[in-house]
Parts: sequence; C-alpha cells; structure tokens
Amino acid sequence: MTSRSTRVLAVAGASVLAFSVTGLGHVGAGSDEGWTVDTEDCSDPDRANAPIEGTIRIGSAMPLSGGAAAAAFEPAARGLEAYINYANENELVPGYELELTIGDDQYDPALTPGVVNGLIDDGVNLFAGIIGTQNNLAVRDTLNEECIPQLNVLAGDPRFGEVADYPWTTGVLTSYEYEYGAYAQDIAANFPGSTVGLYYVNSEFGNISMDNFKAAAEEAGLEIVAEETVELGDEAPPQAQVSTLADAAPDVLVTVPLGAQCISFLNELANAKAANEWDPVVYMTNTCAASALILGAAGENADGIYTSAAMGIADVANPEVAATEPVAAYIAEMEAQGLGDIITTGAAGWNAGEVTVAVLLDALESPDGLTQASIINAARNLDVHPTLLREGMNYTMNGEDDAFYSQDVQISQYSVADGFYTDIGEPFSFESTTEE
Amino acid sequence: MMPLKVHWGSPGHWAIRLIWVAATIAFVVYIPTQTQPGTIGDMTVALELVAVAMALNLVMGYGGLISLGHSAYFGLGAYTMAVLVDHYGWSQGWTLYVAAAFGFVVGCLTSLPALRLKGVYLALTSIGLAVLFPQLVKWQKLEWLTDGARGIDNLQYDEIPVWPILGELDGRRGRAVWMYWLAVIVATIAYFICRGIVKSRVGRSLIAIRDNETAAAVMGVNRARTQTIVYGLSAAITATAGALFGIRINGVSPDQFDLILSITFVVIMVIGGGATLWGPVIGAFAYVVLEIRTREWGGGDSEGLVGVLFGWLKGSPATLILAVVLLVLMFVAPYGIIGLLKRLAAKFVVIVPSPAGTRSNVPPVEEGLDPSIDEPFPSVSTEETP
Repeated sequence: MTSRSTRVLAVAGASVLAFSVTGLGHVGAGSDEGWTVDTEDCSDPDRANAPIEGTIRIGSAMPLSGGAAAAAFEPAARGLEAYINYANENELVPGYELELTIGDDQYDPALTPGVVNGLIDDGVNLFAGIIGTQNNLAVRDTLNEECIPQLNVLAGDPRFGEVADYPWTTGVLTSYEYEYGAYAQDIAANFPGSTVGLYYVNSEFGNISMDNFKAAAEEAGLEIVAEETVELGDEAPPQAQVSTLADAAPDVLVTVPLGAQCISFLNELANAKAANEWDPVVYMTNTCAASALILGAAGENADGIYTSAAMGIADVANPEVAATEPVAAYIAEMEAQGLGDIITTGAAGWNAGEVTVAVLLDALESPDGLTQASIINAARNLDVHPTLLREGMNYTMNGEDDAFYSQDVQISQYSVADGFYTDIGEPFSFESTTEE
Repeated sequence: MMPLKVHWGSPGHWAIRLIWVAATIAFVVYIPTQTQPGTIGDMTVALELVAVAMALNLVMGYGGLISLGHSAYFGLGAYTMAVLVDHYGWSQGWTLYVAAAFGFVVGCLTSLPALRLKGVYLALTSIGLAVLFPQLVKWQKLEWLTDGARGIDNLQYDEIPVWPILGELDGRRGRAVWMYWLAVIVATIAYFICRGIVKSRVGRSLIAIRDNETAAAVMGVNRARTQTIVYGLSAAITATAGALFGIRINGVSPDQFDLILSITFVVIMVIGGGATLWGPVIGAFAYVVLEIRTREWGGGDSEGLVGVLFGWLKGSPATLILAVVLLVLMFVAPYGIIGLLKRLAAKFVVIVPSPAGTRSNVPPVEEGLDPSIDEPFPSVSTEETP
C-alpha cells in the first residue's frame, strides 16, 4: 500500500453536508451499483443472501472489564449502546428493531474468538465496533469465512483495508498509515530541520504505528535521533526512557503509549523538561490524546500536545463545537441517557454506531433488501457524513479502490487552559490512495 | 446413614470406575455432537487448560516445586508452531510434535535451578522465566524469527484435515470440532503421561523427594534425574497445549504469555485440587465456565443479584466477581473441588482395601500410593473405617 498526501483544498462539501440539523440523522448515498461481494465462497451462501427480518442482531466484542486499557476503552461500548438506543427510540431503521449485544473480551485477543463465536451461535447478523488490532485479527478469518459483516473495526491497522482477501471486514478508525503520515508531514512543514525522538509501547499497536511513522518520516526527510519503548501494562514512570530521550534532546517527540502509560509519560516528560532545559514539541497518538480521562489526569503536563482527531471526529469538549448542531443534539441525547460524563470518550462508540446504522439504511434501500451480503455491499460503497464528523470531511468507501472511511487527518493542539483542542492548519487528505 | 463400603478391585468398584469412564466419554462426545460451535470452542479452551494444569500438577502438586514459569513453556510451544507454520510452511499438526520435543529440551534445561533452589527462591527463578519469555520474543535480534512485538497471524488450518471417523468438517463448526478433538487427544495423552509417571518409579521418587528429600536420597532416589525428567515432560505437555492455543486463536503475540497466565495456570490447578489426577481436569472446566459466566454477568445491565451486590461499581464487576468466587471456593474447598467432591461422596460411598490375602488389595497400598489417586470416590483404610 502506498500513500500520497495533499493538503485538502477548500472542500466544496455543501452537497455532502446537507445533514439534518434538527436531529442526529445522517446523509448517505444509497448505491445500486459499485462493488459487490462474492458469496460463492461463503460457508453458507444461503445465509449470506437470506433476508433479515424484524430484528437486526448486532454483535460486538469490547473491553468492559479488566486492566487499565479496558478502563480507557469501556466508554466506547457505552457510546455504541447509546446510539443504538437512540436509533431504536427514533425508529431510524424503519420496520426493524436493533438488538445490540456487546461481549466482554477484556481487550484480550485470546478471549475474542469465544465471545464472537457465542454471539454467532445466538444469531448475530453482523458485528460492529470490535476494539483492538489483535482482537479483530483473531476473528477476521472466521467472520470472512462465515460471510458475517465485521463492520467499523475500531483499530487503525492498515491490514483492515485488505479488501481482496477480507471483503467482509471494514475499519472506521483512521489508518495508522494516514495518522502517522500526517504527523511526519506536519513536523516537516511546521518544524523544518527538527530532529525526532520516538517513544512507544512495545506491542503490536505501538510497533505498527511506528513502522508507519518511520516510513513517512523517511519520505519527509526527518531525522530520528532516539527511540525508546515501554512494555505493555508497565505503568511505572518511564524515568530511564525519558532520561535517554532527554540526553538525545530531539526537537520533536512522537509518542504512542497506551492507557495509563500516557499519563505517566507526560508526567515524567514534565520532570525531564524542568531538569534539562529541554522543551520538545510532543505529538501523541490520538488513542491517548482523545481521552478526556487521560488529559484530565495529566493536568498541566498535557498542555500543548499535538494529536489528530480520531476518525475525524469534532472535539465535543470545545464549547464552540458543542453549541453547534448536530453536536449539541448529540450531547443532549447522551445526557438524556445518563452518559453526560462520557461525551468525549464515548464519541468513538457513538460514531461507530451511527456509521453502522447508515450502512443498514443503504442496505435496506438496495434491490436485495437487507441481507448480510447487501450490508457489506453498502458498507463498501458508503458515502456518509456522521453527526460528529468535522465539517468538510466525509466517510467514503469505494470497493477495492478506496478501502478506508476516514482518510482526512486534522492535526490539533491541546490547551489545558481552554480544556479543548484547537485545529492547526488544514487537514491532510489521503483520500482514495488505497492500493491493494 | 452409613456410607456404602466398596472393596478395592471388587465388582462394585469396577462398576463405579466404568460408570465414571462412561460418563466422561459421554461428556466428551456430547460436546461436539450436540452443542453449538461457541460451546465447543469454550470446551476446547478448557481442554487446553486441562493439559497445562495436569503438567503443572506434576511439578507442583506431586513434585512440590513451585513453578510460576509455565506461561513461558506455553508460549514456547505457541511460537514454535507459529514460526514453523508461518515461516517454513509446515502443516499445523506436525508442529505439535516439534513443540513437544522443543518444550521437553527447554524444560530439562530450565529445571537446573530446581536442583539447587527450593521454595520461594525457586518460585522467584520461575517468575524470571515468565517475565523473560515475552522480552526474548520481542528482542530485536530475534525479530527475524519471531516478528517481535507484532506477533504472527494467520495460523489456523486453511483446509481442515480429513479424518473419516469425524465425517466431513467444514465451516466454523467443522473448525471448532476439529480443534476440539485435537485438544481431547492432547489432554488424554497428557492424562496418561501424568498417570503413568505418578504410578511409576519416577512418580514415587518424585513424591518421596517432595515429602522428605533426605530420606529419599538415603533410599537411593536420584533427585537430579527425577526432577529433570518430570520438568521436561511437564514443559513438553504445556508447549503442546500452547501450540494448540496458537492455532485456535489464529495468532500469537508475546504479551499473551505473561506472568498473569502462569498465575492462572496455578489457580486452575489449586481450585481443582493439587496432587490428584482429576483435580486439574475439574479445575480447568470449572475455571473456564466461571470465567465466561462472570464476564457475561458483568457485561449485562447488572440486574438481579449481581446488580444488588455490585451495582455500586463503575464499569463491569466481572473480575471482582471472579475473584470473590475463587476466594469463597478456596474457603469451602481448601483441597480443591475434587477434595470437596470426595468429601461429599464419602457420605454415600467409600472405597476400602480388600480383605488381606486377596489379590486386588495389593498394588496401590503396598506401593505406598493413595488408592484414591485417580478415583472419583474416596478411599479409606480399613483401620479408619468405624
């Protein structure tokens, strides 16, 4: 897969932004043509093409209990539930009841197959919003063999864009290729000649993120002068790692910790800055930086960090954004459901739920009606602007030519005083650069 | 009510054994033929853990050697399989033999500290092994082989092998049934290896060393050889189960094989009942069922009893419920579930040695073994019988 990035010009998006401001609907473009899935290789082609009637059973596997990573991701589950509740109350899918079952896999890929198999036994029609790279990989073969849509994977590994081999799997998170490509280009553009230090969790997530950054950094001509890792689950202050980074004194740090490590890193970095008269610019994975929980715990030490908007979602903590429709309606709905405390952390789940419903609506309008096959066809031909997506962006997928929804990356900077992010420059667009 | 006395080796005793074996076989056959693939998958997990817990039981239960490093052997097996399948194109089935052989060699080598250390010192050494393994896999100089922290994916069978006795297997169910029977075979072999060792000279030596090392040495027991062999076999069984695990979940990554996994193995062995052959079997199934149920209870809307007891918690109470249940279990069944079952069964049936002079009373008692070692019902000596 290769990428080309260009600054987005003024996106003439009025036509695609015509979503309802009075509610939380979306504008989709139902597609009668375009990419279609081949069901001949399914273990049960009849099931894949059988009409779904009455109740649409949606399954997911998310961390609801377990360690610190689970605590950070659990609000996404509640966000997803909130949107499905909202869709049912407002009969967004006419003639159908949505039934969502989220199994707890504790963010442990060894538990995900058990959760998913149990849900398939219970008659789930599709899966949506499974969290974690390894977790999704653990069930991807099974779901593709069974031809059960695995929609809106909440993991940014570029492997979730392998349409030819895994047509039934689609991701909603911005691919790490684009996220880290944008960081590299932003550093090159705004901090030319800077040296870069890397700090990341030594897991599949951290390594794949950094593989993508290194590739983009090489292309952008950045010099990497230091590289330090932290082990998964190690939440102790990373004194040794930060000290080594301080010795190399890079101008910019690109960081990919996970969960509570994000807080301990920022705190330790603040100590090192004070001791070494070193003040690097910090770019941090949006997995950390999008969490109000993490930023709150880091306090002043989170001030000034750069990140990107996860999935292109607007910063709902920004009062200006929160006051505009339809984000205001989203916040009101979350508060009505008793989830006012997770409007930022639950947004990823809400967004995944909304895109799932958008796919269902397009599938419903297709000539075949609602089937598992029409669901994945609709997902791969979707053009939609969900409630929380920034203006000027759209989720567009086009079969094998365009395998990712979120390909526009907006860099933003956090201000502790304001309590929200401010967009920096125009978004980087990687739209339609997928190559198999 | 007086319990029914059944003499060792009598027709009644054989009838009990036959009923126990028949019930076990019926259960084993019932799962893949009458249940959904999800349940078959859950029971496959339990069977993998049965093998590991039995292997650990050899070292800890019968040998008295504390090991918190079995996650390393488990990971070693999984990675042996993964490397052979992914890098060298081996068929998954053949890798199980290599995993076992490699596990045996590494187990023998890592048993060396056990020859010099005891108790908490040995436990600390084994913890080192558990901590070292994931780091070794992530080590940059080994990335060409292990793929480092990225892990290795796509390890399941592309085509399910054909075994006439199982009929045609395809799709999700076929895959689940195939993995289930592989796990049954591995767990069964593990059982007979453990049973063979425990009832052999090596097993008696092992128990003798555990109970009184000096006396065992005086009696001519070769401690080094005995412990090395047992460690090696234990590691081999664990590595084979690890290879099965990797195939089943279709991928391996280093952080899956951490210290917590080792502790889970110990928990399973202890709740089932250490130093018994059936304890790890019961423990593994009980743990898997409990673990799945608690996640389901925690994942719901916390209604009913769970809501009343744990509604104050923010988030799912799954891990807390599991911890509480395990604590309660250890309180009511300090010798494990198998100990509790034996205590309950003793109210109805007891196995007693046959009268002196009859052939059937000779083997277990005279060999110094507990005749109840693989019996579902308790045995008592005639002297203890009122």
